[in-house]
Amino acid sequence: MSVYRLPFTVYRKIVVGFLFLSSIFFFLSSPSFAAERFFEVKAKKFSYTPNIIKVNKGDKVSIRLISEDVHHGFFVDGYGVKTSAHPGMEGALSFTADKSGRFSFRCSVTCGSLHPYMIGYLYVSPNNLWVWGVFGVLALGLISWLITSKKKQKDEKLKLFGIIPLEWRFPLTKFKPLRALLKSRWFPFLPIVFNLFIFTIILLAGFIGGLGAGNYNFGVMIVWILWWVLLMMFMVPLIGRFWCMMCPFPLIGDWIQRGKLINVGKQKSWGLGKRWPNKLRNLWPLVILFWVSTWFSGFFTVKPFATFILLGAIILIAIIIALFFEKRTFCLFVCPVSGFQGLYANFSLFGVRSRDPEICKKHVPKTCVVGNEKGYGCPWMELPYEMNRNTYCGLCFECLKTCPYDNMDLVLKPFGQDLFAERRRTDDVYNRRSTDEAYKALTMIGIFLSFFLAFQGPYGHLRDMVTAKTFGLHGYLGYLLESFTIDFLLIPGSLFLFAWLSKLASRSKEVKLKDVFVNFSYCLVPVGIAIWGAFSLGIIFPNGSYLLHIISDPFSWGWNLFGTASIPWTPFFTGLMPYLQVLVTLGGMLFALDFGYKFSQRTYKDIGEAKRGWIPILIYLILIHIFFVRIFVG
Amino acid sequence: MKKNELFAVVLMFLATIGTVIGIFAYEKSRAKGYYTVELTARAPLNGNWYPRKFTVPFGQEVRIRIRNIETVSHGFAMPDFNIEPAINEIKAGEVKEIKFLADKKGTFPFFCTVWCSNEHLHMSGEITVE
Ligand code: SF4
Ligand code: SF4
Ligand SMILES: [Cu+2]
Repeated sequence: MSVYRLPFTVYRKIVVGFLFLSSIFFFLSSPSFAAERFFEVKAKKFSYTPNIIKVNKGDKVSIRLISEDVHHGFFVDGYGVKTSAHPGMEGALSFTADKSGRFSFRCSVTCGSLHPYMIGYLYVSPNNLWVWGVFGVLALGLISWLITSKKKQKDEKLKLFGIIPLEWRFPLTKFKPLRALLKSRWFPFLPIVFNLFIFTIILLAGFIGGLGAGNYNFGVMIVWILWWVLLMMFMVPLIGRFWCMMCPFPLIGDWIQRGKLINVGKQKSWGLGKRWPNKLRNLWPLVILFWVSTWFSGFFTVKPFATFILLGAIILIAIIIALFFEKRTFCLFVCPVSGFQGLYANFSLFGVRSRDPEICKKHVPKTCVVGNEKGYGCPWMELPYEMNRNTYCGLCFECLKTCPYDNMDLVLKPFGQDLFAERRRTDDVYNRRSTDEAYKALTMIGIFLSFFLAFQGPYGHLRDMVTAKTFGLHGYLGYLLESFTIDFLLIPGSLFLFAWLSKLASRSKEVKLKDVFVNFSYCLVPVGIAIWGAFSLGIIFPNGSYLLHIISDPFSWGWNLFGTASIPWTPFFTGLMPYLQVLVTLGGMLFALDFGYKFSQRTYKDIGEAKRGWIPILIYLILIHIFFVRIFVG
Repeated sequence: MKKNELFAVVLMFLATIGTVIGIFAYEKSRAKGYYTVELTARAPLNGNWYPRKFTVPFGQEVRIRIRNIETVSHGFAMPDFNIEPAINEIKAGEVKEIKFLADKKGTFPFFCTVWCSNEHLHMSGEITVE
């Protein structure tokens, strides 16, 4: 890349832009005078009235808490003050609102199954963070536009942020001990057994915990606080299907099919080994299954027994599918958490790749596909020797074991490189970029929205809908309809609209609208990862302390294994949390912008079309990110 | 090779069945030396204390395990005995254990100490020592 000076007009644009944005900022943050404010807050399962409290910075805020049913609490994020009220016995709280922004106030006394999600919002204006967040989004958008509008020709080499070439690789398996570990038949068997142990406790706790409240239950807390957060924040974005590597669910199925647990038995399945139908060899079954399982989120995230049923069903179905179908058909096409892992794994830093294609070309039969005495042919039905995307690679490392030339590596690669990868030759129908993956990316955004609004929003009636307090249009059915409308119509519709605008703006004749739609939908991968990460922060900071309790007393039997059973609920970093959420959201946008222009270049024929076609998508990204910042802090 | 496979299978069973057996064995060992009573706490309209009346042997160390299977908090008090540890609240879904020495004969009341419902005052039971 050559260094060139920005022309004068660009400087002028930047100055004007910043002046404009900062004038908005000062307008919105005009100071006001301190006052004494008094609020009477009624608490009932699982909402507050009023659910939104607005004060100005510097105000002295007094709150009288009245409970209408059971013992409830009132804890203010960021301020760390709390009170509680029994029916007939009020609670009182006063503090000076000396920090500005939006803060959740939440129930601090276990009051029922949805207790951890009983939330209202306190606004202390001026809400600077919200303004700065919008400012950040606009600034990123402006910078992206300035950079892209100056381009004279298509990039010859794709580079992440114009710095790291996308084909950059670093083979981690250069390190002998790591290669030896990955080639051992005990790996990943040992991590799997460890998780088998953990999930045995989870299932037992779920079974014993019954229909009680979930926040003192090992099953509910480990799965929905620890596992989900680790999955969404670390495993998937950094390492891809790292969870699948150590997932215990398919173990029994593998055992039945192979007749051996760790040694290499028959390559052909002991089961029927049928082939999954071609029509369903894509992400669609996973899109639908995951969406359907979110229907029950109001139960299995809070009720121990529902968690038991869900996990039990997954394990049973995994075994049944393994009996009828070949290899990891269950993981590829049925497991509800497989879909987003597969799609988001394309963003991850790691991957299994072959090193020298020439060696692979000459090697017949390809042992990474058919297996040999060292290991099994790829259980995920990939073609490891030419694999260039993480979507369907379960990181089982069989191909490292079966390759006689040590030609398979675990590599480090730039974020998101796989999103640009196209299968050169497809042996199987599922290896292509298409609407199934686009819809996976889109529904993940919709599901995020419903989850956030129900579990981190101030709306008690939404929580009633999700937990099916009433059925019917204003109850559970309404929730299902709403989630269908958002996930399958509104969000895809909005992208479709902007894809159409993009095609229009590009003035391209030959490009198909569907391709524009599919290509740009991959922008939503980093966006989805970021907002789910920010969502997870909102779970782990306020509620992480439950984990200390449940590891000491997993079955609520009065145990105290590690001496932490009596640690009370202690939220931490709740003041820092909104800032981190905004940062993470902006981080996602940074990647989306970088990827987006690259997608535009590959969608459209020449640089002119690509630059014009990019503008509507850029606007789309700016709009949705303003929306997300609003969701988190506005 | 054969040995490895066997070892793996053993590990797998240890992680599953072994864990379950271990958990119950540990629980059993904790109960040693005590006369144990299982008590379920529910608001009066949902079933009240269960059992509401029970008998324990005189002179024994008694362990009462109170399981709150509801989604509201309950409490437990038995003023005639020195119960350990003192508890003021048993949260929803939680289980608490108390211990005491049954050193008096007769029938004594116990009740909930947390406003759990409008019928809260009726949430009481009787323990007989003989
Ligand atoms: S796809 Fe599902 S069942 Fe298969 S390994 Fe991954 S998480 Fe486990
Ligand atoms: S390519 Fe196949 S064999 Fe290799 S690690 Fe991935 S899933 Fe396993
Ligand atoms: Cu509450």
